[in-house]
This record gives sequence, structure tokens and C-alpha cells, in this order.
Amino acid sequence: MDHLKELIKLAEKDFEGCKTLTELDNAKSKYIGKTGPLTEAMRGLSKLSNEEKPKLGALINDIKKSIEELLNARKDAIQKKEMLSQLENEYIDVTLPGLKQSEGSLHPISLTMNRIEHIFHSIGFDMATGPEIEDDYHNFTALNIPESHPARAMHDTFYINKNHVLRTHTSPVQVRYMKDNEPPLKVISPGRVYRVDSDATHSPMFHQMEGLWVDKKVNFANLKGVVQDFLQKFFEDNKLTIRFRPSFFPFTEPSAEIDMSWNGGWLEIGGCGMVHPKVLNQVNINTDEFQGFAFGLGVERLTMLKYHIDDLRPFFTNDLRFLKQFGDQ
Amino acid sequence: MQFSKAWLQEFFDKSIDKINLGEVLTMAGLEVDTIQDLSKLSNLIVVGEITNIEKHPDADRLNICKVNIGLEKTLKIVCGAPNARIGIKVPCALIGAKLQDFEIKKAKLRGVESNGMLCSAKELGLSQDAEGLYELDLDKKVGQLIIDALSLNDVIYTLSLTPNRADCLSMLGIAREVSALSGLPLKNIRNQVAKECFTLDQKIKIDEKKSCPRYCGIQIKNVNNNINLPIWMQQHLEKSGFNSINPIVDITNYVLLELGQPLHAFDQLNINGEISVRRAKRTESLQLLNNQDIKLDGTELIIADEKGPLALAGIMGGESSSVNKNTTDIFIESAYFDPIDISGRARAFGLSTDSSHRFERGVDFNGTLSALNRAVALIIESCGGQCSEILDIKNTLPKRESILLRTKKISDIMGVEIKDSDVKSVLDKLDLKYVDQKNKFLVTPPSFRFDLSIEEDLVEEVIRIYGYNNIPLIIPTSKNEMLAISNNKKSIYSIKSLLANLGYSEVISYSFINKETEETLHSNLDLIQLQNPIASQMNVMRSRMWGSHIETLIYNVNRGHNQVRIFEIAPIYQKIKSDFSEVLMLSGLVYGDYIPEQWSFKSRKINFYDIKGDIEIISGNTLSIETPKSIIPEAFHPGQVAELIIDKTSVGWLGQLHPAWQQKYELKEKSYLFELKIEKLVDLVGKPIKLPSKFPPLRRDISVIVDRHIIVGDMVEEVKSKVIDQVIDFYPFDIYEGNGIENNKKSIAFLILMQDTYKTLEEEEVSNIVNQVLNILQNKFKAELR
Repeated sequence: MDHLKELIKLAEKDFEGCKTLTELDNAKSKYIGKTGPLTEAMRGLSKLSNEEKPKLGALINDIKKSIEELLNARKDAIQKKEMLSQLENEYIDVTLPGLKQSEGSLHPISLTMNRIEHIFHSIGFDMATGPEIEDDYHNFTALNIPESHPARAMHDTFYINKNHVLRTHTSPVQVRYMKDNEPPLKVISPGRVYRVDSDATHSPMFHQMEGLWVDKKVNFANLKGVVQDFLQKFFEDNKLTIRFRPSFFPFTEPSAEIDMSWNGGWLEIGGCGMVHPKVLNQVNINTDEFQGFAFGLGVERLTMLKYHIDDLRPFFTNDLRFLKQFGDQ
Repeated sequence: MQFSKAWLQEFFDKSIDKINLGEVLTMAGLEVDTIQDLSKLSNLIVVGEITNIEKHPDADRLNICKVNIGLEKTLKIVCGAPNARIGIKVPCALIGAKLQDFEIKKAKLRGVESNGMLCSAKELGLSQDAEGLYELDLDKKVGQLIIDALSLNDVIYTLSLTPNRADCLSMLGIAREVSALSGLPLKNIRNQVAKECFTLDQKIKIDEKKSCPRYCGIQIKNVNNNINLPIWMQQHLEKSGFNSINPIVDITNYVLLELGQPLHAFDQLNINGEISVRRAKRTESLQLLNNQDIKLDGTELIIADEKGPLALAGIMGGESSSVNKNTTDIFIESAYFDPIDISGRARAFGLSTDSSHRFERGVDFNGTLSALNRAVALIIESCGGQCSEILDIKNTLPKRESILLRTKKISDIMGVEIKDSDVKSVLDKLDLKYVDQKNKFLVTPPSFRFDLSIEEDLVEEVIRIYGYNNIPLIIPTSKNEMLAISNNKKSIYSIKSLLANLGYSEVISYSFINKETEETLHSNLDLIQLQNPIASQMNVMRSRMWGSHIETLIYNVNRGHNQVRIFEIAPIYQKIKSDFSEVLMLSGLVYGDYIPEQWSFKSRKINFYDIKGDIEIISGNTLSIETPKSIIPEAFHPGQVAELIIDKTSVGWLGQLHPAWQQKYELKEKSYLFELKIEKLVDLVGKPIKLPSKFPPLRRDISVIVDRHIIVGDMVEEVKSKVIDQVIDFYPFDIYEGNGIENNKKSIAFLILMQDTYKTLEEEEVSNIVNQVLNILQNKFKAELR
């Protein structure tokens, strides 16, 4: 009997000596395995009297239970230690750079155009595009710039042939859109435009955004409202104000230059006006019933102001060191 | 248009000092480009007289001048101007004087002390002319402040006028505008009438009555054209940016500036017989005043005598009949030419003259005669002489039709209620004649306004004077209808974003390229050429973007980039017979390393399949990338190029830049190019969505050996086309050639993924399917199981 009780102490000592789960497994078989002393003692029970049987049986079970508890406790301890050592081994230097493909980027002009589209879309403006090799009619004549008009000289036009030019503005899209759609209409048309001009502040190709709203009552006060609202939303500045200066565009009457408050002064940001009745007549819109306004903004200018870039040229140089900075914009 | 405030003041009795001219003009629509306050010039600049000159001992081009500035002691000043000489009077900046961006300090120039600086007109900011010292009139008093000596207590304004405001191309016009806006009345100017002394003996004939509706002429004899004009006139001209030519020409320029009427003076002795205003003949030519020889094509309006052309009407006179210092008898022309006849003409000859600038925008046809009278009076006053009667030939002058202006129309356009009284007040200010018809006005525009022909033009006038700034900002209300968004279209922006996420940088490059690149790299011989390119390397419209992208690549490789991935979405241009087409294209270039160098990857060079993978990601399942069937563009390596197909139509290309091009561009690494018609990509028809099976898929791999020329894509296509219901995917995962495999053969390992919607597949079914696949490959491609 006592030698059985001794087993607990022996097992405890044995288990303590085990460093790994395998060792522990081996040690376990010495006590509660198929050939262990407890199993044997169990077998010996049959030889005992009916009185002794339950007593010894209970004792063996208790001892077995105690050893199993010891075993489990040791197992937990070893597992814990092993986990700790695994963790210890698996420490990494989290300051090493993340592994990745190089980052791409969207061109700042794209970012601006997308922003413009979103803002105008939010009040129901449609989007339209038109050809860049434009015919004389849509680029000039339909916009009330007849052949001999001095305004044609203002435009520094690239000519393809007698009847085709690279569009000098996005306004021809207005004409095309009004031809294809019935008023009331609200549309913007962003895109590439071209002028024979190249220096630090002019690029022979640049981007414009044209807006048009034709309805029964839209007026000059509305034009001021829409332009200011847009600029405030674009620059996220509700204190931004605008100033309209009288100007001249053959396709609007009255016409205005748009100045925007900037750094305590005024900055020219685009042109606008009420659509000239001759333009509306060209597309068979009844000027007794409808009137409308149009505005044009320079996309490069908006982008330069938005990102505080004071040079136009980087937009077309495509230096990746410049472009990649717009990856996370 | 450039003018001085002092000249403008002459049109008003009351002082204009209180008017903020810059602001008033700007808000009237006359854009002020620059305002230069001459009185800001340092008062340490005085009139100096050079009294002695010595050569600088150590510098060939420098002189040591003694300069008398009215003090006992003369100043010693080192000067390099070529026109420095004894006796001339020049502006002398003393120590401490501030000129534009620098201050004059005592200095040593090559070892010689210099106590000031002698100035050019440019250094004083008076002109762009930097040639030598500004030589002052000899009657200027030495020591006098330059500000006083040159009457610089003045402000110069430069206006950038829009083409509709031709009426403001004169002092009178600007004064009229300032008066309307400020309420300050204009001074009454008495019209001068020349006193005739003899009968005009110059015959004039107007052949082109429509182009020249009015022509006034006068002769003046015995003038002295070798005198000095009054200082005030010289200063007005100078401050308006006009150089002095000779007194008579200067006076015609003066009247042009004052009243806006271009005049031309001919040397009477060089006019042969009758003057005619006629169309040029095709064979004629003319030497212009600027010595330019022009050949006439028969469409130009000219002034001619019996021998031939004398002047390009309304643009520039000819050399042969020009007036010089020795001219004694002159004939002066004051005409009204139809803008349509002058327009664009000067530009066609590469000219832009003060005269053509005004005529093409419209000159006051009621001012023709008074301008001539004004000029004659000024000439006789300064140069003497006697004048003839004036011949005034009038044909059909432009009519100023009355325009109906409705008060309600003004309110409708402005968005602000306006009253009849407000309208009247504006019309009065602008001196527009009208008949008040209650709630509407019948307005007759004056002869000097060419920009008022319809009601809206008058509405603009009212709003302009009312003040653009006085109109409120009102956000309009409109029908609140939602905009439709198509589910079958990808937005272009989303494609751009996807590419950016794949490591591509978006570029924007010019739509023009050079002819050679277009013809060779872009394989396009049907060029769209620009008639007036900005530079010869940008003379045609591109039909592809690769040339531009290779330029971008080279730019960036030269700046140390080993990995370049760029794309652009832009139209490309093609000629179709006599018309043009534009297709929105996605195009790109990939070069160098597959991934950037980093600490635990061994980088490798980019290859065809890397980019193919990217294209597959952005295009979804609609696009197939196939062995080319069309003619392969010259840009590509013929063995590494694929055609992009959507709905059996070619929509683009993907491939390696031909090694010959790589060599030509001196590129170290291989480049891959692609292009894809984006419209096709945007128009995606959604495939029906299937629910996933509840049962796990089973995978079987087979490895087969085939001839090495067999196209793997064909094998996959064949298997997929013979629809075996339970096969959900079939693709190669390993390709091997070499040891253990016969020459000219390759081993391909395929993965077959199987699944049934309703049950777990039995082993027997699985082997059945694998056998079916094998059969297909054996029959069609002579594949052997490895």
C-alpha cells in the first residue's frame, strides 16, 4: 500500500525532471501506462477479498488521479515555457521597411478633374466630352466668333487645315451638348485644349473645365452664386469670395472675368457669362423661353492653387519624383 | 493702350485725383495691366551735363566722366555707355538714389572711384530702350530733379482691352468711360476747323465704296518738318509708348491716340496723279514703311496712285510716299474702312499696327473729319504751311439701328429687380440716346460703339454701370431629379485608381509628337500635321502614345529610376479620309525591375507576363490576350507581342519594345508597351453571378508532354470549350523544357479543379473527368501523359 503512495512522490520528482513533452510522455508511461505499477495493482485487485477490493481500488484511483493532475500541471508548464521560447525566437524588427510593389500615383490634373466632377455631380450636373480636333464651326462660328472677328486672334489657334483646328477651349462641347439635348440642362465638360503659346506660364496644351446651365430663369446672380459655391467647396474654404469683372467673350453677354480672393488679393481664375442669344439660336433654343450661363475654369490653375505649386511646367514634364507625391492624395 | 494720368486730366475741368482710376477702369471692364507711378522715382536723380571725358586707364570700354550737376564741384563718374560724350545732358543718379532694384553706392570700378551713375531710359523705368544714356534736351537746367525736368509727376496706365471696346482705344474714349463711371463731366472740347487757303488739287477716286465708306483728304503745303514739337505733346507721346519719328508723323500719331482715328500723311510730291482706293492687283507689290516688301494677291484694299500701290489701306503706308524731315508738301488721309476688310489682313503679313488694330475693331465714322481738322490745326501750329479745303467723300456709312431694351429683360438676366429710373440713369451716364416707352426704351447706340447691336449688349451696359459687384450671389433652385448611374460602365477614374494601386504612375503628355516617331515607332503614315506647330518635334498629332512615353521613360531613367511604370488615358488621333477620329486610349510603358529593390526580395527584371497579369486585373474577364492576327506594329518584338481582343475585335496591343528600338533609344533594360481602347473596357456587361457550391472542390494535377510549338492558350481554350460540367477551372501551373524531356517537346503540368453543385464527387467520377480532359488533349494536341 505504502509503496503505491510513494508513487506520487516519485512521479512528481520524475515529472519535474522532464524538459519536453516527449520526455514527459515517457515518464508518464512509467506510472499510468499499460505496464505501469498502478495498472498492475489494478490487475492484482481480483485476488483480494470483496472487503479490500473497493478500498484498494479507491486508493489506486486516487493515486492515479493525483499523478494525472501532476502530469497535466507539468504539461501546462512545459507548454507555457515552449510557447514562451517560441515567441522569444520569433521576435522581429518591426522597423524594417514593409515589402511592396512600388506605389503608383494619379496625375494631379486627374485628381482635380475628379474633384470638380464630384462637386458638380452633387447638384446634378451631367458630364460631356467632345473632339479635340474640332471644326471651325464648333470652335468659332457657332460661338459667335465669325471668320474676321478679332477674337480669333486672341486665341492663338493651332490649325490642322482650313476647316479644322485643335480646340482652343472646351466651349464647343457646349454647342454639341445643346444640339443633342433639350433644355433645361446642366453639364460640365472638362478636357484638353490647345493654344500656340509656350513659356513659363503657358503650355501649348492645357486643361479647361466648362460649365453650362440653361433653364427658364437662371440668371447672372445665379452664375455668381454657383461659381462662388463651387470655389468654396473646391478649396474647402467657406470664407472664399469672388469678384466678377466685366469682360468680353463673343459667346457670352454679359461676360465677366472671375477673380477669387487669395492671400489678401484677387486672383483671376476663369471667365464666364450669360450664354449669348446668338449661340442659343444656333442650337435652336428659344431665347424667349430659356436663358443660361456658362463658365470656364483653368484646371492647371486650380491644381496649382490647391497643392501650392507655383510652376506650370511640372504637370507636363512627368518627373516621377513629382508625380509619385500624388500617390496618397 | 498705354496712357498717362496727366493727359487724361486734360479732358476734365475737375481734378481726377479722387478717382481710384485703377479700380474704376478694371470694374468697367477695361483691364488694367500695369500701373506705374513715375513720381516714385528717386529724388536723388538730377540733370547732369558731361563736361569732360577721359579714357579709363584699365578698361577699354569705360570712360571717366566729369559731370556738372549745378554744384561748384563736378562729380567723377565711370560710365560705359557708347554715347557718352562732352556736352550732352543726361539723368545722373547720385549716391543713395534707389533705382528699380538697386541703390547707387560709392564704388570703385577697375580701381577708379565713381560717385554716381549716368542712366539710360530703361534704368529710370521710362522705356524698354536700354541703348546708351538717355539724352535730355539741352535746355534742361543742370541740377534740376529729373522728376521735374521730365514732368514725371504722373502715373502711367497700361490697359489690356478686349476686342469689343475699340471705343476705348483713344484718350477721348477712356475719358468718356471715366466720366460715365465717376459722374465727373467731360470738358467741352471745341472742334477746330482748318482755314483753307487753296483748292485741293489732288484727285481722289473711291473704287471700293463698300470697303471705304468715308474718305477725307487735305493738302498742306510749305510745312517745315524739321522742328521740335511742343514739350507737352512729346511727353504725351512718350508716356504712351510712342517713339518720335518726325513732327508730322508724330502729330498723326498724337491724333490717333487722342481721338482714336488713324491718319496717314503722304509726301505730296511723291504721289503720281490720281489717288484711288481700290483692290490690289495680283501682280502688284509694295515696299512698306518698315522696309518690308510685300506681294499682293489681289484681295487687299490699297491706296494707289497712277503708278501703283502707295499704302495698305488702314494698315501701313508705303516707303516711297512716306514723309521725312525734308518733306514740304503733304496729303493727309483720314478714312473709315470697313472692319471686315482690314480684319486679319495685318496678321497675314505678320504685322500689327496701331492703325490696323483700330480699324479692324471699328473706328468712329462720325469722327473722321474732326480728327483730320484737329491734325491740320496742330501741324500748322507747329510746322507752319497752308492747307487746302477738305474733301469728304461719304458713301453708305454703317447704320446704328435702334434697339429695344426692356426693363424686365434686364431684371431677368441680372436676377435683380430693376426700375425704369435705374435704366435711365445708366443710359444717361453712357450718353446713349433713347426714347422712353415705359418699361422699355428705344436706344440708339453712338457711332463709336461697335459692340452694341442687340438687347443683351445693352443689358450688359446696364449691369456694368450698375456694378457687377452690386449683384447678389444666389444659388439657383432647379428640379431635383437624380442622375442615373449605369451599372454596366466602369468609370475611367476607377481604372486609373486600379492602375495606381498596381504601381503605375499616371502621366499627361502632349498630344503632338514628331513626324519621324509617328511614321516609324507608331507605324502611321497617314499623318495629321499641324500647320503651325510650336516646335518641329511637335508637328503631328499622335496616333499612339508610345513615343511620348519613351521620352518620359528616358527622362526618368536619366534621373536614376530603375523601375518605371507609367500609363496615360488620352485620345489618340486618326485620319479617316478627309475627317478625323479620336479614340480614348489607355496606354502605358513598363521598364526595368519587377519590384523595387528591398531587403528580403531578390528583384528580377519585368517580363511580358507581369504586364499581362496587370492588364488582366484591370480588364476583368471580357478581354482576351491572344497571338496576333493583325499586322504587328513596328514598335514590338515580333516574338513577344499579343493582341488584345474584346468580342472578337482587336482593341489593343501588349508586347516588348523591339530590341532595335531599345538600342536606338540606348535603353539598358527591356521595356514593355501596351495600349487598349478604353471605351471597350468601360463598357462591361456583367456576367451572371453564381452561388458557390456547398461541397469542397477537388483538385487533380496532370502532366503532359507536347510539341514545344503548341500554344498553351489553345489547350486551355479547347478543354474549356468542351464543357465538362464539373470542371470549374483548368490552368497550367508549371512548364518545363530540358533535361529528361525530348528535344522540341515541353512538359506542361495542368491543374483540374472539379466540383459538383449537388453532391461530393465520387472517385470514379473524378477519374472519369480527368480521362475526358486527357482525351481532349491527346486528340487535339497529341499530348502524352508524362
